[in-house]
Amino acid sequence: MKNKISQKSTAYFYRLRLSVNSGLSKSFFLLCFIFFLTGSVAFSQNNNLHVTGIVQSDQNVPLSGVSVNIKGSNVGSITDKNGHFSIDVPNTKSTLIFSYVGYTAQTMAVGSKTYFPITLVSANKELGEVVVVGYGTQKKSSLTSSIATIKGQDIAAQPVANLTNSLGGRVAGIIFTQGSGEPGYDGSNILIRGIGTTGNTQPLVIVDGIPRNFTQLDPNTIASVTILKDAAAVAPYGLGGANGVILITTKKGKLGAPTLTYDGYAGWQNPTVQTKFVNAYQYATLFNAADDNEGAPHAYSDYALQKYKDHSEPDLYPDHDVLKELENRNTLITSHDLDLSGGSEKIRYFASLGYLAQQGLWGPTHYNRYNMTSNVEADATKTTKVNVSINGRVEDQNFPGVSAANIFYQAFRTPPNAPLTFSNGLPGSYIGRSAAGNIDESGYTHNIGNTLLNQISIEQQLPFIKGLSVKALASYDYNPFSATDPTDPTQPIITFSRTWLTPIYFYAYDSATNTYPLVGNDGPAKPQYSEEYLQSQAFTYQGYLNYHNHFGKSDITGLIVLEERDTKTSVFGAGRVNYNIDVPELNNGSANSTDISNYGYSLETKQKSAVYRLAYSYDGKYYLEASGRYDGNYYFAPGHRFGFFPAFSAGWRLSEEKFIKDNAPWITSLKIRGSIGQSGALAGSPFQYLSSYSVAGNASVLGYTATQGLTESSQANPNITWERAKKKDIGLDANLWDGLLTAEFDYFYEKRSDMLFAPTVTVPAEYGIGLSQVNSGIMSNHGFEATLGSSHRFSNGLRVGLDLNYTFARNKLLQVFETAATFDNPNRRITGRPLNTQFGYKALGYYTSADFDANGNLLPGEPVQPWGTVHPGDIKYADVSGPNGKPDGQITPDDIVPIGKPYTPEIIYGISPSVSYKGFDFTLLFQGAANRDFYDGVYPFDNSSSATIDELNYWTPTNLHAENPRITTQPTSNNTQTSSWWIRNGSYLRLKTGQLGYTVPEAMMRNLHLQSMRIYVSGQNILTWSHIKNFDPEVSASNGEYYPQQKVVSVGLNVTF
Amino acid sequence: MNQKNIKKSCLYLMAVLIVIGNFSCKKSLDASLNVIPGNSLTNASVWTSTSTADVFLNTIYGYLPDGNNEYDPFDNWSDNSICGYSWVVSRTEAQQAIYTPATLNFDQLPYTWSTLYTNIRACNVFITNVSSSALDTSYKRLRVAEARFLRAFFYQELWMAYGGVPIITNPLDISTQGDSVFRARNTSDETFQFIDSELGAIAADLPITAAESGRATMGAALTLKGWVELFDHQFAASAATNMQVINMGVYSLFPDFGSLFLPANNVNNEEIFWREYIPNVLGGRCDSYDGPTFTAGGAETSWGGVNPTQELVDDYDMDNGKPISDPTSGYNPQMPYVNREPRFYESIVYDGSYWYNDTIYTRQGIGSPNEIDLSDHDDATQTGYYLRKGLNDKITLGADNWNNGTSAQNYYYFRYADVLLNYAEAQNEAVGPDASVYNAINQIRERAQIPDLPPGLSQDSMRTDIRRERRVELAFEGKRYWDLIRWGIAGTNLNQELHGIAITVNNGVLHYTPVTTPGGDHKFDVSKNYLFPIPQSAIDQNKNLTQNPGY
Repeated sequence: MKNKISQKSTAYFYRLRLSVNSGLSKSFFLLCFIFFLTGSVAFSQNNNLHVTGIVQSDQNVPLSGVSVNIKGSNVGSITDKNGHFSIDVPNTKSTLIFSYVGYTAQTMAVGSKTYFPITLVSANKELGEVVVVGYGTQKKSSLTSSIATIKGQDIAAQPVANLTNSLGGRVAGIIFTQGSGEPGYDGSNILIRGIGTTGNTQPLVIVDGIPRNFTQLDPNTIASVTILKDAAAVAPYGLGGANGVILITTKKGKLGAPTLTYDGYAGWQNPTVQTKFVNAYQYATLFNAADDNEGAPHAYSDYALQKYKDHSEPDLYPDHDVLKELENRNTLITSHDLDLSGGSEKIRYFASLGYLAQQGLWGPTHYNRYNMTSNVEADATKTTKVNVSINGRVEDQNFPGVSAANIFYQAFRTPPNAPLTFSNGLPGSYIGRSAAGNIDESGYTHNIGNTLLNQISIEQQLPFIKGLSVKALASYDYNPFSATDPTDPTQPIITFSRTWLTPIYFYAYDSATNTYPLVGNDGPAKPQYSEEYLQSQAFTYQGYLNYHNHFGKSDITGLIVLEERDTKTSVFGAGRVNYNIDVPELNNGSANSTDISNYGYSLETKQKSAVYRLAYSYDGKYYLEASGRYDGNYYFAPGHRFGFFPAFSAGWRLSEEKFIKDNAPWITSLKIRGSIGQSGALAGSPFQYLSSYSVAGNASVLGYTATQGLTESSQANPNITWERAKKKDIGLDANLWDGLLTAEFDYFYEKRSDMLFAPTVTVPAEYGIGLSQVNSGIMSNHGFEATLGSSHRFSNGLRVGLDLNYTFARNKLLQVFETAATFDNPNRRITGRPLNTQFGYKALGYYTSADFDANGNLLPGEPVQPWGTVHPGDIKYADVSGPNGKPDGQITPDDIVPIGKPYTPEIIYGISPSVSYKGFDFTLLFQGAANRDFYDGVYPFDNSSSATIDELNYWTPTNLHAENPRITTQPTSNNTQTSSWWIRNGSYLRLKTGQLGYTVPEAMMRNLHLQSMRIYVSGQNILTWSHIKNFDPEVSASNGEYYPQQKVVSVGLNVTF
Repeated sequence: MNQKNIKKSCLYLMAVLIVIGNFSCKKSLDASLNVIPGNSLTNASVWTSTSTADVFLNTIYGYLPDGNNEYDPFDNWSDNSICGYSWVVSRTEAQQAIYTPATLNFDQLPYTWSTLYTNIRACNVFITNVSSSALDTSYKRLRVAEARFLRAFFYQELWMAYGGVPIITNPLDISTQGDSVFRARNTSDETFQFIDSELGAIAADLPITAAESGRATMGAALTLKGWVELFDHQFAASAATNMQVINMGVYSLFPDFGSLFLPANNVNNEEIFWREYIPNVLGGRCDSYDGPTFTAGGAETSWGGVNPTQELVDDYDMDNGKPISDPTSGYNPQMPYVNREPRFYESIVYDGSYWYNDTIYTRQGIGSPNEIDLSDHDDATQTGYYLRKGLNDKITLGADNWNNGTSAQNYYYFRYADVLLNYAEAQNEAVGPDASVYNAINQIRERAQIPDLPPGLSQDSMRTDIRRERRVELAFEGKRYWDLIRWGIAGTNLNQELHGIAITVNNGVLHYTPVTTPGGDHKFDVSKNYLFPIPQSAIDQNKNLTQNPGY
């Protein structure tokens, strides 16, 4: 009998393929989804001998989806959700095979029995575990490279929108910073093993084998995230691999009955740290104090001070907590996800529908995401496997017409005594700007991102050579990355953007008439509207030749992949100003030609590569592997386009040696491994080999007509090529006492050479143009990683676990372009120091009256500071050096010294304890960063700004050890010099995530006709400990004006029907 | 294995082989990665078409000073005005003359060393490539002359700011020229000679009237030449050159001084070289950068970037043509704004002036938002005055103007009044106050509707009158600082307290008291500040550059 599913699926696939050929229409997408939702898995059996049974795991948990096959026949069945199965067998001589992923298959002769309680034993966790590697998978036990894996289940159900925020702290090797909490832009910058280059530091991101943006995939559809760290691991990615590689694998169907799962949560977001500002009375008092210091009359009278204090005339003497009044509290983030998964031996499917909605700090800001995924894998013939996967999403973002950066800029400036809003709710203004109007009256920016990732692969065993197979994969992606920033895989994808900017009217209070006249406008005089269409397409073709066989104790694996990838991007925009009709459509705008504008451009990229991997192992003890890539890219001149990036690695499983097995039986597994190799990185921009001219937009007006611009681009460098990274890694993996303790240690060293530098300092400033970059920089990066894990299950069912990871990475510039002024001064030399080491003057403290004579002049011998007259309470700097290397009595750039570590942390660690007992499970993830410094550039009254509460602690003759220098109406040039005074320790520790879940007992579930249900409380950024008190420690703007990181507390529900 | 499977396998193998085929030949492999960038042109395509070459030259016109987009104009570095807010370079850096080679920062002003050399390179690239191109000879003559004019203009700015500078007349290329790209400074005299001779050489190649307004003309070249000669104290030469412009007969003073600077009169016979603006496209922002800060309802419709000083105000004559220092002028310090000459009312917003649908009160004690800001707490005036000249209050002021650039008026680099004033000064210095000097200066006064200068002035008195006339006529046109430098009086005028006016009301009577004001305390070190320092970064990159004395 032919299996019905198989027939059915073949028929569907025929149609699917037709659809693909006819243009990947949306109907294909729809068809697939309907198919998976409706396609029932039906069996019919007509045989005589009927047997039944139950399959359980060695933990006595019923297993659903276990395939039950009759040996030597196509007939099969699978267990239902309670582990039960029934099957008709031809006769008593039949043999049943029970197989299930992750468990050792079991064979059972039928005999006279008709009921079979079967217990499947899980395959040795470590030995059986398969990890995703570049262009394939490998058994974990045979790995000779440094790879970390995060399981999909660990990142699902966290109340975060952007996947980059789910990775940090979970495994060793990831250094990250999250610089913003703004919906749609809240991703973390991820660095694998820190920063190894002055160029682009972004790791390559591969989703299901293809370079794609991964940040907004549905977390519930992620099977695993694999971090490729060392040379051997990244070698298959050639000139994409030097910064490390993140491999995302999405879920595929699982053998078993259809399982429908719902997962959803609702969470409440608030800034992790709410920056506090002075109130109106404090502001006015502080300003008067500044006036006193300058001998100027008080800006605020005693009457005004009293009014600010007693709030009796709020429209004349307002007192606003600006930031707090502009921001909403407890904004909502919700997610709903429905997954269907199942399959038989012949065809497996997974489909998912996801929805996420995230509110911002103010009404107009929100982010909605709709994800849809389907994946079908079919054994078309005995030797042919076909996989079709479609992964689409729509992102829908809305923001006020004024950007968040500008809103925060204005919010930080607006002092508490400015009329943010009046008592009747009308927006007021401060120096011609309306902070409240910026949010609600400014119009909007509405961005839509459509992404569709399609791929189909066919794998064919070649029966004439055992172990040989070929595979062809083609993918067509629509908007797989940001069109405006294709090289940054974390940039949001926007395919259509509409911006409607309206007048931002603001009002004043006229106390004489007690009216609120309209007095101004902080927006355009008349509405403006613009649209932008962005589109990118990527075509990737891969041809694989796979070989795997063993001869005696030798095991050989070979892989060759040929890959070709082309992308095309086009951008088009148009806009009009001076709208008389209040309807945002281009056609409704002014018809005057000077009110109409448009622009557009296109980009194209090409890449061709050949990948290989050869692995040999002997007796499960000794492993050797060679891999690499011959890679070509359009960036460079003909003749400089192709490069070869090889790597070698080796491993030795000591635990398989007799001397360990006999003497140390507690060592379950022990392996040492090492790798060495080269990889590359594209840096800079393409076409620097061409001497060329760039066309710009409007450049000048002649004859009252705007004319275009044409400028010389930088001078060509025909020899420009990629960066090269030489990486070494030595590691140790251990598993002791049967998994009670697992450990992984790695030491790595990388030397990046041929880094691109624009050699501006090698030509005079009079040269008048930049030179194209040249491959000349060298830097090293080394570090250490450790991962420790322990878990134990007590006999009473209590399970406790603890996972620790630690990453340290420190780089060093070995060769960079430097002027003599910095290179010849050992204090200022960049070479030999970590990249982005912070330099500035060394602050000694404050001047005191003892430093001045009676006339207020600095006493002789005090170094001269060139930034205007100084007074007691101003910052005093050290005269470290001079033109001759000796102190010269003057503060000049010769006195600059290193004052702080780079902003990117050198150390990231994670601590994750977990407990489960009966139905309860409880997991925490503490994540910390150390060895980083933040430069605090927040000054009171800077550029007419307000002041934070910290700034009330300023120097006075009676407060000599204040945090801030003497107060002035504008921070003085002397006190705002880049100096050690403003360096803050940026170390922090967070309770990054926490989750408490309860799984409802099965007995109760039966009544509800559900398979399982779990409810949970979860949180993100729940607690933060840091030296920086008034900002989040990951504050990304030195002046503090940025969209803060959010903490989220959520409740969720997970149901399997 | 059945046939079907073999067939299938073959198909797959073919697919793989097609890909392998692509890798077979290195050359074709390279070629298969060819991508032609869509946004760039090559040497071959730029210099073979006049329309493309024109686009390159047009871009250089865009590098000329953008005077109507400055929120802290150069007059704030002089004794004419103070910026209404304190974070700008005129107050953080210029006021106390605390700029150093490491810190010198001109913000939006057009004197940045590396920027000027970028502009000069663009000129050199144009001149070199067009000269050697196969383009039409008449095209080459005209456009190369324009480019040489622009290059001379940029050298003029370098020379005034830094003195002698490296004179570079070819595009530098380190790969072919090696270390010779590291040029030493030419002397100030050599730099002057270069500018002067260039302008002399190309004047005849430029048209009397440009085909497109805003381009360089013969008049522009000669006016610039006369100006650098004046700056270099070559008085006789300057007088002769300026007389050449006068004798061209194409320029005359526009009858109405006040509206000369408004968009309605963008086309007039007085302008010689100027920058044009198109609102919303390449428009100006000066109307809401530099005008009176608060208007009706207390709305901030401008940043108040230019606050005229009492020192400037005192230099406006009475309407009888006499300076206020003249006891017979009729000036009453307690009624200071009565019967002043028309240019005062056309240039300055003072207490009680009308601006943008509002009366501007800078007096104290009546709760006016424009009250003189002696505590420096907002953008209100530091001096009790605001700028009117060159500003247009007939458009929507405020955010629309400063965000979108909606100002349309021209910015004049040179107008005929410059030529007359330059001539009068040069001739007075070279020869003395002859009739031609009177003629020139009185043309200015007649247009300003004030009586001629009295006859029989001594050379010194004439000098004083010319200087005051020049200050008033050219106020806020970016000229004053250079005048203080070349007259050698910066050590006095920029080394003192500048004043504002405190106006108090007592029983309905206004009282006027000059006061010192935040931002008014000026320093100028005569031992070094007559030249700006060469940026330290430029010296670091070129060991052949020597620093100006004192830095």
